[in-house]
Amino acid sequence: MNLLKRLSRVRWLSSLVFLIILFTVTGIINPTFFSYENIISAFNSSVVFTLLAAGIAFVIMTGEIDVSIGATMGLSAAIAGTIAQRGGSIAEMLLYAAVLGIAVGIINGVGVAIIKVPSLIFTLGIMGIVRGLVYVYSGGRTVENFAGDFTNLGSKTIFGDITIYYSIVVVVIIAGHLILTRTRSGKNFIAVGDNIGGATLIGIPVVWTKVLAYILSGIFAAVAGVAFASKYGQVNIVAGSGYEMSAIAACVLGGVSLSGGLGSLLGAGIGAVIMSTIGRLLVFIGLSSDFDNTIKGIMLITIVVTDALMHTRSVEKARRARLAARASSHNDVKVDSADEK
Amino acid sequence: MKNKFLQKTKDIVTKWEFVLVMIIAAEFIIFGAADFEKFMRPASIFSSINNYISICIISLFVTFVMITGGIDIQASSIVGLTSIVIGVLWSDAGLNIWMAVLLAIITAGLAGALSGFLVAYCNVQPMVVTLGGSFLFSGIALLVSGLSATPAYQGINGFPGKNEAGEFIAFRALGKYKLFDVIPIQIVIYVALIILCYWLLHKSKYGRKVFLVGVNRKAAEYSGVNSRWIIMSTYILTGIGAAIAGVLLTANVDSAKYNLGSTFTLSIITAVVLGGTLSTGGKGSIIGTALAALAIVILRYGLPLCFGVSTQNLDLPIGIMLVLVVSARELASNPRTSSYIRKLFRKEHSIE
Repeated sequence: MNLLKRLSRVRWLSSLVFLIILFTVTGIINPTFFSYENIISAFNSSVVFTLLAAGIAFVIMTGEIDVSIGATMGLSAAIAGTIAQRGGSIAEMLLYAAVLGIAVGIINGVGVAIIKVPSLIFTLGIMGIVRGLVYVYSGGRTVENFAGDFTNLGSKTIFGDITIYYSIVVVVIIAGHLILTRTRSGKNFIAVGDNIGGATLIGIPVVWTKVLAYILSGIFAAVAGVAFASKYGQVNIVAGSGYEMSAIAACVLGGVSLSGGLGSLLGAGIGAVIMSTIGRLLVFIGLSSDFDNTIKGIMLITIVVTDALMHTRSVEKARRARLAARASSHNDVKVDSADEK
Repeated sequence: MKNKFLQKTKDIVTKWEFVLVMIIAAEFIIFGAADFEKFMRPASIFSSINNYISICIISLFVTFVMITGGIDIQASSIVGLTSIVIGVLWSDAGLNIWMAVLLAIITAGLAGALSGFLVAYCNVQPMVVTLGGSFLFSGIALLVSGLSATPAYQGINGFPGKNEAGEFIAFRALGKYKLFDVIPIQIVIYVALIILCYWLLHKSKYGRKVFLVGVNRKAAEYSGVNSRWIIMSTYILTGIGAAIAGVLLTANVDSAKYNLGSTFTLSIITAVVLGGTLSTGGKGSIIGTALAALAIVILRYGLPLCFGVSTQNLDLPIGIMLVLVVSARELASNPRTSSYIRKLFRKEHSIE
């Protein structure tokens, strides 16, 4: 019982249960869905979203937001595309992606953590600038016709039909999850988001933690751009616009609270799988993909409203328990009056 | 006497609206100097504003939401919803066009009310609710367009309101009529909405309550303000504002499409924030938002015309403007900017 109670507090587990329910319902309606291949490809196709969601999860945990990731991804994809055109190696692309991600992250971090501009607004401005740079860089043309086997890399599998990309992503996410939950500096992210004043008082480097969160978010987004270019084989100037909203939604579905201080990388990863497979599941259920956004919207709203109501209830319950405890510890005479309250 | 005058000048100069007017003036000077002939043609100025009128209108109403400390990123999806509801009700359900417009505006109000209810009464973060709303309402718009005989990508067109002489009357007049043959009707409506919103926010009891809720919700609640209803009402207002923009846009392009306006979100937020509204609530003004929207529109109009910047690449200058302006404002409002190291340690616990 105790174990069950403890498990129910692990937020990413409830997201995982939700994902399993989604799969099961789809499978019941259309049994052909229940094949190893279908389920694995649901995970494989979520590489880009998983990277974006995992990156932005760091920022959201610290209580800020980063809407520039879609544009960063677009720029990195365009750069990776031009490198691919002349047959460059993937290591080179990742190097450029890392530099780009760090640069955008530092600018965002400085603006938000040091100059203290509200994060939505600052990253909104950076998003406009980076999106503009995509245009300047590609000259308004779509980057395509990649040389070599760059576009085939995404479909190469290692074991059990899992693609190389997704297995790398899984390793990174699990490593990140462990760092966040097991190490001292990893826990700083949650601490800063949960109680920034308290974090400052106990000597956590708040500014540096926030800057680091933005840098990580930038790097993840830029690497997602490389995966994007490899997956679609072409990059136009609006590549990745609107992806930031889906990534935020994925985090919310994965139990990362937008007010900060709650959530995990695993949750964000699971949320990303949910976000990117809804369309595919609809096809199996037999609904048109027109229902895609409606279902996503209903799902998102239902989950956050349930979460908020449960949170309100637990706060209320804790308050009552505290009042009762206080009343009984004072003296027994006053117990009656406190109970009436 | 002189001191008073100086004080007054100082008050005006340090006001954010004054900075915006300066920015607009600078834009006029720069663009005017670059290519006066092209830039100063009233017809092209007005037609440019016409393209961005939805952003201008919606940002007025989003100001209300932001002052209460919320945010609304679903308004742009409501534009498309309104448009397609009008189209389907008129062309497929065979309703009178005005009836269709009325029902569409009511739909938009309900859409706003749903999000407002969840924010105000269930205490969910506004950003998440309206993010969900933007998925939901754009999804519903797509589903509604599926009810129509016309394919979704085509858009429903052929709205009534063009007589034999080629003049625009009735519904189409909302998009094409020009006052004195120069000023488009959208601008007239926009100015009327600015006046209405100004009165509502700065001169009415309702407006005082909106500010009070934004400054301190608890205090507002204790002083007898129904803060939940006030918060919910701002979202309804934004829904209706988005609906007005949707109606005007549909009448102008003569096409009802589910994805009209889907790219507006970030421009709307930019306009509101640039207008001096605090995203944490409690501060903001309609005039500021209107001026900021104007500054953005002129920038978007002038750069391609006078400097040959591609219209696809207008995010870059607007992004630079937003980042520079908000950073400068943040630094200027901080008295300890110079001793920046001290600020790092000092400001940590006084988060606004």
